[in-house]
Amino acid sequence: MHRTPRAAMTLAAGALLLTGCAFGGGQAPTATETTDPTEEVTLTFQSLAFQDATIAATESIVDSWNSEHPETQIDLVQGSWDNVHDQLVTQFQGGDAPDIIHNEASDMAGFAHDGYLADLTPFLSEELRGDVSEGVWSTVTANDQIFAAPTIMQSYVAFANTAAFEAAGVEVPTGESLAWEDLRSIAQELTADGTYGLGWGLKSPTAPFMNLALGEEGTFFEVDPEGEATIEIGEGELAIPETVHAMAYEDQSLDPVTLTQTGADVLPGFLGGSYGMYIGGSFLAQQIADTAPEGFEWTVLPPLAGSAGAAQGTSPQTLSVSADSEYVDRAAAFIDYYMQAENLAAVGEGDCLIPTTGAARDALATATEGQTGWAEMLASGAVLEAAPFQLAVNYPQWKDQYATPAFQQYLSNAITLEQLSTQLTEGWDSIQ
Amino acid sequence: MPLGRVLQYVAIVLFMIFLAFPLLFLFTTAFKSQRELQSPDPQLLPAQWNLDNFTAAIDRANLIQAAGNSLIVALVTTLIVVAVSLPAAYALARFRTRLRKLATGWILLSQVFPFILIIVPLYLMLQPLGLGNSLGGLVVVYVVWSLPFALWMLQGYVASIPVDLEEAGAMDGAPKWRVLVSIVLPLLAPGLVATSLFAFIGSWNEFFFALVLIKDEALQTLPQRLALFVGAEGQVQLGQLAAASLLAAIPSLLFFALIQRRLTSGLLSGAVKG
Repeated sequence: MHRTPRAAMTLAAGALLLTGCAFGGGQAPTATETTDPTEEVTLTFQSLAFQDATIAATESIVDSWNSEHPETQIDLVQGSWDNVHDQLVTQFQGGDAPDIIHNEASDMAGFAHDGYLADLTPFLSEELRGDVSEGVWSTVTANDQIFAAPTIMQSYVAFANTAAFEAAGVEVPTGESLAWEDLRSIAQELTADGTYGLGWGLKSPTAPFMNLALGEEGTFFEVDPEGEATIEIGEGELAIPETVHAMAYEDQSLDPVTLTQTGADVLPGFLGGSYGMYIGGSFLAQQIADTAPEGFEWTVLPPLAGSAGAAQGTSPQTLSVSADSEYVDRAAAFIDYYMQAENLAAVGEGDCLIPTTGAARDALATATEGQTGWAEMLASGAVLEAAPFQLAVNYPQWKDQYATPAFQQYLSNAITLEQLSTQLTEGWDSIQ
Repeated sequence: MPLGRVLQYVAIVLFMIFLAFPLLFLFTTAFKSQRELQSPDPQLLPAQWNLDNFTAAIDRANLIQAAGNSLIVALVTTLIVVAVSLPAAYALARFRTRLRKLATGWILLSQVFPFILIIVPLYLMLQPLGLGNSLGGLVVVYVVWSLPFALWMLQGYVASIPVDLEEAGAMDGAPKWRVLVSIVLPLLAPGLVATSLFAFIGSWNEFFFALVLIKDEALQTLPQRLALFVGAEGQVQLGQLAAASLLAAIPSLLFFALIQRRLTSGLLSGAVKG
């Protein structure tokens, strides 16, 4: 419903451009401008930055933009992740959403399908377009339109207590990737009286399993451009849950209690030496660095790899522009500025998340050279891509009603792998 | 003292400890360092009491300004809710018309709507009135939201006052307003206190409406600012959140302490009048 006015604006911009060429220019907007570039405007930018360092980096970016661009001032509003979806639903319906919106790709895909987000395709610079991998662009593309600019992303990594490795006489793995089978055998070696080889907070198991499945050729869904998806559960989709289950109940090298906890719940146990390894989002590196006891020695292991390599799905954090914004071109210009290498590197460093652009990853690699874990985390960022489930329109409902309960039952050893497969498939079919 | 009485006291003390534990946990957490909070061997008391979480929380979330906004919204809401619900509750309890059942049914029904269902139309109504991003708009929403339940509560209190007392006052020659002010109101004081507390605490703690309606940072309320301590993927700045929550609880406790005294005097004067 928002496409018609936008198309009209684009046509108007094109007409103005032609007029400008014919009559010698003046203040006519260019092809990527929808407004008079000399008009002074103020745009709202709702940021969800959370860590103190990221908040400071965001404020710094906005301040420097405002001082360099007096014609486009950015009014930074600090929002929160809590209920952001419902907040946006209401504000979009009321035509009152912020001009520039911070969120994550999988949550914005639905808004894009409903026409609430501006198409950024004509506005983002070629340099930026070429510096983000196609796999990441596909997480923010719907109907051939880019509905958001991907900024930073999370990967799942394995953290290691290197002192525990040394005590058990196990070599800390290095190299480009770490196979799941190797992780499993290392966990067995690290398991001793009262300590487990691995702790993994899998209270909400769907997202990690769906994302990590890509490394085992598990895609779960086939999605058409309209967001209609069909499910298929095979060996690739079930490989990671099966490995976790086997480690918890056959090898007993993974503490089954952690399967009922969040990543943050498991962290104190890792810091206290209860688990030699710990799998979680890369952002947890920040908490480990900040809160590890004196002398705690740790590192990040190479990216986890399955039969298809170390690929992982990711839902990057994004910046979008409301389709109702009168200044899409100006908002997009700010986004382009926000994504400059130094800016994005500062944001990624604050959150311990991986920038989507190669230039920002290089800048971050330089800035964090010698710091524990960063090289491995940045390496894992190179293999992040879109997982089909992110573009399946009914995924959130399936996740809450069927997938998460089914995975939880399987991890608690209440159902078999076959029953898990059946529940996942029948659950999806029931909501189509 | 008989053994039964001793056991009663022990049970009460244990129950009080049980009830107070979350508050104690909140209190001690607010004074712990981040490292202690992530310790695998958690202790109830901090190894070293420090105020870092308080200064960081105040600095990060601008709590003073947010507390001021919350206080204005909660007090104005409470005043309006009590002022509107008092006569309405009296009428509902005393005048038994056909509309009474319908009205009480509607009151109860209005409580079952989830917030998310009503927020969109509410938002669309407030925008053209210029109340979309204002404390005034928030007061309107909170009054509308609190009123049905406040009315329901208060009419129960009115109904519990024997009509005989009012009739006795009338028999003694007191005019209707005098009966209401001198007999009904003092007896209703506990009900008014409870209703005020309900309206105040409900407005003080409300998050979702404020989140959607208020965009200007200078107008944000305390719950909105507290949400800044919770991030994506279960991340929480626990120490700062505890410190901020502790500070946020102080006005509520003060309001309760203040109004509780009124509650006691209201009860006593009601007893004397009765």
